[in-house]
Amino acid sequence: MKLFLQLAWRNLWRNKRRTIITISSIFFAVIFALIMRSMQRGYYDYSIKMSASMFTGYIQVHGQDFWEKRSLDQSMTVRAEDFRRLEHLPHVTQVVARLESFALVSYGDVTKVASLIGIDPLREDEMTHLQSKLVAGQYLTYSSDGVLIAEGLAEIMQISVGDSIVVFGQGYQGVTAAALLPVSGIVKFNLPNLNKTFIYLSLKQAQWLFGADERLTSVSLMLDNVANIDKVEKTARQIFGPEYELMTWDEMMPELVQSIAADNAGGVIMMIILYVVIGFGIFATVMMMTAERQREFGVLVSVGMKKRILMFVTFIETLFVSFIGVIGGGLISLPILYYYYLHPFKMSGKAAEALQAFGFEAIMPFSLKPEIFTEQIMITLIIAICSVLYPILFIRKLKPANALHG
Amino acid sequence: MKPNQFAPALLFICILPVVVFTQDAREIVRQADENMRSNSSYTELRMTITKPTWSRTIEMKTWALEPEYALIYITAPARDKGMATLKRKNEVWNWIPTAQKIIKIPPSMMLAAWMGSDFTNDDLVREASVVDDYEHKLLGEEKLGTYAAYKIESIPKPDKGIVWGKIISYISKESYLNLKSEYYDEDSLLVKIFNGSQPKTFDGHRILTRWEMRPQDKPGNSTILEYINVKYNIDLGVTFFSEQNMKRIR
Repeated sequence: MKLFLQLAWRNLWRNKRRTIITISSIFFAVIFALIMRSMQRGYYDYSIKMSASMFTGYIQVHGQDFWEKRSLDQSMTVRAEDFRRLEHLPHVTQVVARLESFALVSYGDVTKVASLIGIDPLREDEMTHLQSKLVAGQYLTYSSDGVLIAEGLAEIMQISVGDSIVVFGQGYQGVTAAALLPVSGIVKFNLPNLNKTFIYLSLKQAQWLFGADERLTSVSLMLDNVANIDKVEKTARQIFGPEYELMTWDEMMPELVQSIAADNAGGVIMMIILYVVIGFGIFATVMMMTAERQREFGVLVSVGMKKRILMFVTFIETLFVSFIGVIGGGLISLPILYYYYLHPFKMSGKAAEALQAFGFEAIMPFSLKPEIFTEQIMITLIIAICSVLYPILFIRKLKPANALHG
Repeated sequence: MKPNQFAPALLFICILPVVVFTQDAREIVRQADENMRSNSSYTELRMTITKPTWSRTIEMKTWALEPEYALIYITAPARDKGMATLKRKNEVWNWIPTAQKIIKIPPSMMLAAWMGSDFTNDDLVREASVVDDYEHKLLGEEKLGTYAAYKIESIPKPDKGIVWGKIISYISKESYLNLKSEYYDEDSLLVKIFNGSQPKTFDGHRILTRWEMRPQDKPGNSTILEYINVKYNIDLGVTFFSEQNMKRIR
């Protein structure tokens, strides 16, 4: 075996230039593919994080069927000790409880349907940075009786800070939810459908209004990294029994999953084009090499070299070339990716403005997920195996007499 | 069939009188309708809403001036006492005493539940005339409990914009009581069933005083209406049904 490796290695370096050209074509292709994939994956993770922290979180706990029915009758109680356990789960960074429902909101002659969200103001701010969206008035406190109203809704209804709105709707188990609530602040969202429907109030106030003491409709979890979602979901499942439902961001935001999938398909096509080019590069080199060595193969077979062994050595040669290229490319790109992982690209122009408008940093972080690397290694290996089929078939059909006479 | 305030709701739901095809069927439905109705009425009733996991009872007084005006005043439970709902033509207002404010229900909320019941705001308002908006056909006679009843099929006239595909009702031969109504959608699937029972006589009108509505697509849900007191042909004018009066009424 060692002999074969040695043979293959020496064969490679008999024609240095040819080998180096092949290696470098693989090398640069790998660097390029790695950077592209890392950027894409990194950006997906970042968009998921942005979207999750806007409202839903990575994981949400609901009462059974709440997500589908959206009714307070599907609300739940969460014991304080379970809430604490949730907070202390590894990888969980924030735990945010809410009680939400729809109700009529009336001011003057205008009546609209709004989404009323009872929140713990401090926790909510940690996750969604709600306080930074305040454009007028005061933020909520834990037990304040005022409301924060979305700017678009306030404008339609001509409400300003200090006015009082009437809320009228249906609470828990059919009770009537009706109250006169002072507007303590106005918050501006950049998503139009939030900006026209959201009204925040303190959790205590919401529970009183909807006759749902101690009840919640959702508990949202933020994690340190989206990659830990499965682990956390599993452990959280042990805390909550079957009367609760646990949902992850991809179940709650299918439109985000779709847009990522669509974008990812574009990236995959780019990769395929790239690898087709690389594949033919490798194949061409292998073909040339084989043709050049026709005479050599003829001699070897005539003096008694088994064809099987010859095929094997050729195969090892191709593997060597491929792996030197892949590993070299990987090693060189690793520090580049790592650097951009720590110091993400700053975006500029329209895309940046759009992101900043939502209150996020306009950056493009890279991803260092191991599957990005394994993916490239697998693909290159497959290409190498495919191209090595040519010399193997060539050797199989080789007739020493013809080969020697060229 | 216009016992009261709630009459509008009851009308669509309970009453199915109709006209047309057979003079007989139309006449039966008309009789049943007339029996329940009167130009004006006052009713005290109790509504019990049952859902799979909870139930609640609401008591109310209602005043109605057929066909366009109704006022509902909630007397129980304590948390909701004093609330009033005013129906004027096809609009609905709510008086919320805790906020001292009148809210007009916007069109987008017309299909939402009224007071947590199986009735929608739209049910309160819809003006379907049971006699004239349907074509009626006598399917036969059947015995329902102790009553001999006519079985009548009512199919809405195409231009009336009625959501039902058909309604099958059972009207007793004696006193023309609408004992049972089955509501079918356009695919002939049974959507809800109304059952009437406990006949009593108020001001010369013999009516059923207990109505139970069971939506067929929501097992475990029901809404029961019980008439405690009914007065017919009372002295009410259109001015009674004003936003001002909604705040004053007791």
